[in-house]
Amino acid sequence: MSDHSPSGRPGQVTITLDGVPREVPGGRSLAAALIAIDEPVTRHDRAGRPRAAYCGMGVCFECTVTVDGAPLIRSCQEPVRAGMSVDTTGEEAR
Amino acid sequence: MNTTTPDLLVVGAGPAGLAAAVTAATHGARVLVVDEQPRPGGQIWRRPDPANPGPDPLSAPAYAAGRALLTRAAAHPGIDFAHHTTAWGVFATRTAPDGWAAPPGTPVPAGPRVAVHGPQGVEVLLPRALLLTAGAYDLPVPLPGWTLPGFLTVGGIQALLKGHRTLAGRRIVLAGAHPLLLIAAAQLVRAGADVAEVAFAQHLPAPADLIRAVAALPGNRAKVAEGLAALRTLRRAGVPVHTRTLLLRAEGEQHVAAAVLARVDQDWRPVPGSARTVGCDTVGTGYGFVPSTELARQAGCAAHWNGPAGGWVLDHDDAMRTSLPHIWAAGELTGVAGAEHAVATGRRAGLDIGRSLGLLESAVHDRELRPVEAELAATGRMAAFLDHTCAPHRAGLHALADDDTVLCRCEEITFGGVRRTLADNPGLGTADAVKLLTRAGMGPCQGRMCGPALLELLHRETGVPRETIGAFTARPPVKPLPVDALARAHDATTTAESPTDAGPVVR
Repeated sequence: MSDHSPSGRPGQVTITLDGVPREVPGGRSLAAALIAIDEPVTRHDRAGRPRAAYCGMGVCFECTVTVDGAPLIRSCQEPVRAGMSVDTTGEEAR
Repeated sequence: MNTTTPDLLVVGAGPAGLAAAVTAATHGARVLVVDEQPRPGGQIWRRPDPANPGPDPLSAPAYAAGRALLTRAAAHPGIDFAHHTTAWGVFATRTAPDGWAAPPGTPVPAGPRVAVHGPQGVEVLLPRALLLTAGAYDLPVPLPGWTLPGFLTVGGIQALLKGHRTLAGRRIVLAGAHPLLLIAAAQLVRAGADVAEVAFAQHLPAPADLIRAVAALPGNRAKVAEGLAALRTLRRAGVPVHTRTLLLRAEGEQHVAAAVLARVDQDWRPVPGSARTVGCDTVGTGYGFVPSTELARQAGCAAHWNGPAGGWVLDHDDAMRTSLPHIWAAGELTGVAGAEHAVATGRRAGLDIGRSLGLLESAVHDRELRPVEAELAATGRMAAFLDHTCAPHRAGLHALADDDTVLCRCEEITFGGVRRTLADNPGLGTADAVKLLTRAGMGPCQGRMCGPALLELLHRETGVPRETIGAFTARPPVKPLPVDALARAHDATTTAESPTDAGPVVR
């Protein structure tokens, strides 16, 4: 567990989730970190219904988000990193 | 090692890939293993980030073989690993180095060219032998509510737990037909989750099944012990484990709030009046697995339909050779049969690859083959038993979806939408034709989620045999990759080499 995390609690890292700073547990995938803070939704379908991680192993592409401007990133395969900017609202993540 | 030209390239760092890598490397092969995950182990031998402390998920006795193999592979100087790396295309000898069709007469190198995308961008690897061990993923079963957040596959729930020390939810219902449900439920209980129920769709084993089980026991005691230990854990925790019980749907607005389950008959048809609602925030389904054959089929390896073994399964001979030269396959691609069998098939492939590369004399090969064949026979018996008792009842599962149920999660195509297309276009009889007309299978998952259900829908609506309907054609890239990475690789290829130069191409 990192003692150098920029957040207050050890092992926690701060990410920006849809423009809002959020403290999440580190040392895991982004999808897992989002589930751990009860924010599992990664995208919405055309009717606006929420979608989230389904297969958890990089196959279904339901958990794709935009990370630091790069779209279609599988959050279940992406390690959570302090300072990463995560967008679940983008057009391409629909 | 020059990692772009290994003797053996293994795609997949799970049980089969690791076993083959160690076997081939032990006989002197230079091996490169590429894998999408951050660490080796595949789905079953996942382990968390070392920065995320806690007990090792592989400390259970059933994972002893995994721990040993991971240690041997990590320590072997002949094995390199490339993680966070996706193999997205295999180009045969008749294509130019950048993957496009070579003009007639163009000299091209022997052996497959394998395009990967990883932290270094796109690279083209030129192994002498290619082993595909891409494994399998949970059979997706579309039913009402399956796109709600909180609805996952049991493999996904287990991956969150073993790989990321994360509980998928607080109160969890697991439903399906595969023994993995018991293993995962026990792991969840030990990690502090409230498992509300484990529901198996099949009936209790008949006496004939028990006789088969006893016959399958030799060589498989550890696996059976693992299942019994999981059952004990669940009994102590008071978790109900039901048979003859099917998940009909999940309910909730923005997230799973309940699971609706019902008693079923032998054909997995709900008994009228038996439906009941179980409050929960998470549902996991485990009806078996689908081999990840897309890269192999894209390469041109022949496949055939074998429902109990997972669906489309690669053709292979006794030495795990596919229908194409230079390409072997092992593990679930050759029929879903579990980690122990995957290890045995990996060893079998590793021996044959070693001999084919001229590293292993025939006498040594034959001597080492005997124990591997015994292992294959034992693990194969257990796999056959599980195929018999746990194969998904595809008609029963198909009946769960109504017209409004999403079939293709990426493109939001419903069962009703496909049915209307079939009604408007009599004579449609292939998966690809339906894909072209409906867009089902055209999203980022490229049909991995809707493929099995679409095949069943087409088969039931049209009566066309599954073999005729076929799988979606697999094309490169078999998983999405950034266009700029491809463009950079193409620019490097076309500027660094003259068009007729057949030398190895890197990046």
